[in-house]
Amino acid sequence: MTGDAVWYEAALVVGITNALNVAADALGALGMVDEADAPPETRALFAEIRAFYESPEVPAAFRLIAHDPGYAADVWAAARRAYADNRLSRRVKEALAFAVSLTTRSGTGTAFHLGEMRRLGVGPRGIMEIVGVTQMFSSYTKIADTLQLEPDMGDLAPEDPTPAPGGPIR
Amino acid sequence: MPTVRLRAAAEYPPEAQRLFELSKAWFNHDFDQPPAMSRVMAWDPEFGGPHGRAMKRAMSPGEFTRAEKEMVAAAVSGASACEY
Repeated sequence: MTGDAVWYEAALVVGITNALNVAADALGALGMVDEADAPPETRALFAEIRAFYESPEVPAAFRLIAHDPGYAADVWAAARRAYADNRLSRRVKEALAFAVSLTTRSGTGTAFHLGEMRRLGVGPRGIMEIVGVTQMFSSYTKIADTLQLEPDMGDLAPEDPTPAPGGPIR
Repeated sequence: MPTVRLRAAAEYPPEAQRLFELSKAWFNHDFDQPPAMSRVMAWDPEFGGPHGRAMKRAMSPGEFTRAEKEMVAAAVSGASACEY
């Protein structure tokens, strides 16, 4: 896990997971798009999402935001990029998404990413490992916040001197 | 600024010194002073002991590596908006 690239990837997973959970948990009043009545671009989008997740279901967040097909397509493109195998595996990214969903009390996100972890081969022990890390750091962070502790472990990791992707070497 | 005065390692009893050594080994880093959270946990060994064991158990390699778990921990800290 050395180098900044994996941490950028992890941060993007955390961000997009939170964005999808916001819609999935709180946007129900808007109603989900009925695929039978949806325009062709929405049906194509849903087909792509199903293929990515190897599931007959389209996650609730996308059915809720598909009232604007162009917006939903861009959100999906970002999500697909964030969750796809890259330097971090999809399995690890789903563990991150599960942990973030649990931490932010997103029932929809927690259930969805738990299902994805299982689908990607994480067993009961692995799931409890992520539950343990999530729960213990939920304790740790609140103790640190209550006492307003200042970061004192930042120099454990060396600075990554490499440039941004495609950028010149400094 | 912390709401409490963080005691230097030397202000702790001998049994806490052992915890600080374990902390140093866990992070594989020679701290000038143990991390603030280690010193907080050493304040009440009856809480810090089992909490630390649960933390160590959760963070030990299993289906996920320690590095992967550190990343999950960072994500949880970020989602909790914890600066520490």
